[in-house]
Amino acid sequence: MTLSRREFLTGVGAIGAVWLTGAVSCREKIAPDTHSHAADSSAVDAPSALVHFAPEDAADVEAIASRIFPTDETPGAREAGVVFFIDRSMTTFAAEQAGFFAEGLRDLNASVAESHPGVSRFAGLTNEQQDAMLRSIEDSEFFGAVRFATIAGMFALPKYGGNKDFIGWKLVGQESVLEYAAPFGWYDHPDNQRALLGRVLT
Amino acid sequence: MQTQPQSSRTFRTTDEVDFVVIGSGPAGASMARELTRKGFDVLVLEQGRAFAPAEMEHDELGAFITERWSNSSQSQPQTFRTNEQETAQRRQFVGYAKAVGGTSFHFTGNYWRFRPIDFNEFSVRGGVPGAALADWQISYEDLEPYYSAVEWAIGVSGEVSSVAGEPRHSRPYPLPPLNVTGPGVLLAKGCETLGWTHKAAPMAILSREYNGRQPCHNCGFCLGFPCEWGAKSGANYTMIPEALRSGRCELRTECTVFRIETNAAGRATGVLYFDGNKVQVRQRAKAVILCANGAESPRLLLLSANAQHPNGLANSSGMVGKHFMFNGAALTRAEFEHEVNGHRGPVVSRITHHPYELSESLGFVGGGGFDFRFDVPAMLMALSLPATEPQWGRAFKQRLRSWYNQSLLCYAHTTSLPVEGNSVSLDPELTDAWGLPALRTTFREHEHDLRMYAWFQQRGRELLDAAGAIRMHDDPINADPGFTVHLLGTCRMGNDAATSVVDKFHRAHDVPNLFIVDGSSFVTSGRGQPTLTIQALAFRAADHIAQFAKSNQI
Repeated sequence: MTLSRREFLTGVGAIGAVWLTGAVSCREKIAPDTHSHAADSSAVDAPSALVHFAPEDAADVEAIASRIFPTDETPGAREAGVVFFIDRSMTTFAAEQAGFFAEGLRDLNASVAESHPGVSRFAGLTNEQQDAMLRSIEDSEFFGAVRFATIAGMFALPKYGGNKDFIGWKLVGQESVLEYAAPFGWYDHPDNQRALLGRVLT
Repeated sequence: MQTQPQSSRTFRTTDEVDFVVIGSGPAGASMARELTRKGFDVLVLEQGRAFAPAEMEHDELGAFITERWSNSSQSQPQTFRTNEQETAQRRQFVGYAKAVGGTSFHFTGNYWRFRPIDFNEFSVRGGVPGAALADWQISYEDLEPYYSAVEWAIGVSGEVSSVAGEPRHSRPYPLPPLNVTGPGVLLAKGCETLGWTHKAAPMAILSREYNGRQPCHNCGFCLGFPCEWGAKSGANYTMIPEALRSGRCELRTECTVFRIETNAAGRATGVLYFDGNKVQVRQRAKAVILCANGAESPRLLLLSANAQHPNGLANSSGMVGKHFMFNGAALTRAEFEHEVNGHRGPVVSRITHHPYELSESLGFVGGGGFDFRFDVPAMLMALSLPATEPQWGRAFKQRLRSWYNQSLLCYAHTTSLPVEGNSVSLDPELTDAWGLPALRTTFREHEHDLRMYAWFQQRGRELLDAAGAIRMHDDPINADPGFTVHLLGTCRMGNDAATSVVDKFHRAHDVPNLFIVDGSSFVTSGRGQPTLTIQALAFRAADHIAQFAKSNQI
């Protein structure tokens, strides 16, 4: 992943041009988002049905996503429904990536079968085996693409299919609210401003 | 939530309107507001559309990935190359908002004024080899009344600082500073440890109710997001509604202007555009004001080439599209011991202009300032954790949470030199969704600027260290900046028609009833945050253009 930091900081929009970057170098850009938007994103029900992936492919995608954001003391990609985000993206703004994902899953499962006799799908491996497998393809375009899509699905608004109940946001401490009151953190608390600066900035 | 007024006036395409303004961004909106106030009829053509408040979601995917309200890589593809010998490759290099209000629709709202040195650095400090440094034809004092007028017209929050170097303000800011944030306190701490001055950031965000608009609610989604409260003083919430309320202005959206037409006498007669259904429309006008931004304005002039103007309209000098500038930057991310929580409150609350003018012994012409700010929202942050951090798995999850809450970005904003070979031009092969030649950028940072950025990055590390940072990560400084906004310099202002595109009143040297008013007029880049200066220039231009119109000099 070699995204320029300035792209992120100032590059509203152009990031679309690097969707799944490090994944597919001279690829076409994603299509503009054409599906309908609900005005109130929080009111959208989380999807429970697949629209693109076959169930066994979805299980593999979910398994990979769940190693990127594993479930531990806090929820991960599985609870956030990231697979539904990726599934929908394959028919909307990332439709051009559908073939690449399918091919990547085929190759991954071929490796699984070769290295783990008796197992035919990535989802059938133990967590430890899955981690080892992913470490071996960490630098591949396919892993980069699934990682990008998983992160997008973890934090995109729930209306896009993932980030169920804002699980992704809660994970990092982002609330789904439209307002905050000061102090916002430790440093701007008046007591700590006094300790740091000898006064409170207004 | 804020609502937006509709056009109360409709012109016919056969009407010769007083002014057609191309673009509803900070410049075009300022022109529309000022010219309607002075009694003229104004038609504003905007390629984007208006967004309803309900659409202004905290939609990181839409804002940064699927181009929900920015220029489109699909319908408006671009190419890029680093020098004129290369064949440009497809790449989105230039970014702006495609919406009513232009890029002020989703800006951060940093509203720095320029200082006197930004207008006369060439005569004060001399030239730089390989750069076309020049003085402006106007001074800070010429622009000062218009800075104040813009600040009061839209609502800017801040505090006139008493520290040395602060330029004269004829009026205070209309609103007190916004809430100080964690990054702001840490900037103050770093500055005070090093003996640097710092001050409340002037921001085009309301700290109190103003002109019937609500104040900032500290939601944290500023950079790249429209404001659902209407607290950001972008053109969509300020100048455009004001112009529409005058009864003299029509705003026509989803209009892609592709040609400014001229007659045998060399005068502009109006424009040709594609409407939202890609139907070609001719609109007549007595005068044309081009405010399409520092990339699209020169592109439209080049697209308007005809037999009389074979190299593009207003381009007898060959300077249209040349001297493309942005603002330089040096970035360092840093982690702190406690919760910074920069994702709450305004992105920026304190700034320092301590290194605004640098000692000649450093060997640099130029300078800049710093802010500490929230870096980027969760999705972008997860995609861009420093390479030294885990990139997936349990440790990634934990470290991401720490970064999100305990990190900030130290951002140096600097000058960048005007270089003739850095340019906007028409791609000879690639076309856009309207069949028009695509925007091509040729750009490479000047070596002198790269050294200056490195110097700023080192000062930034010192500031962070003085503020107590426990971990730092420099973002690399490259001759290819990757992507840019702040589109400046491409229709340069000057007295000499052989070396510049517009005169000091923004009138094209070659076309008496064509005015070009936006970042393209800049002779030099300033130290960062150009929007207020773009609007002050527009207010000034409108004063003069109105006088010209009333005395039959257009």
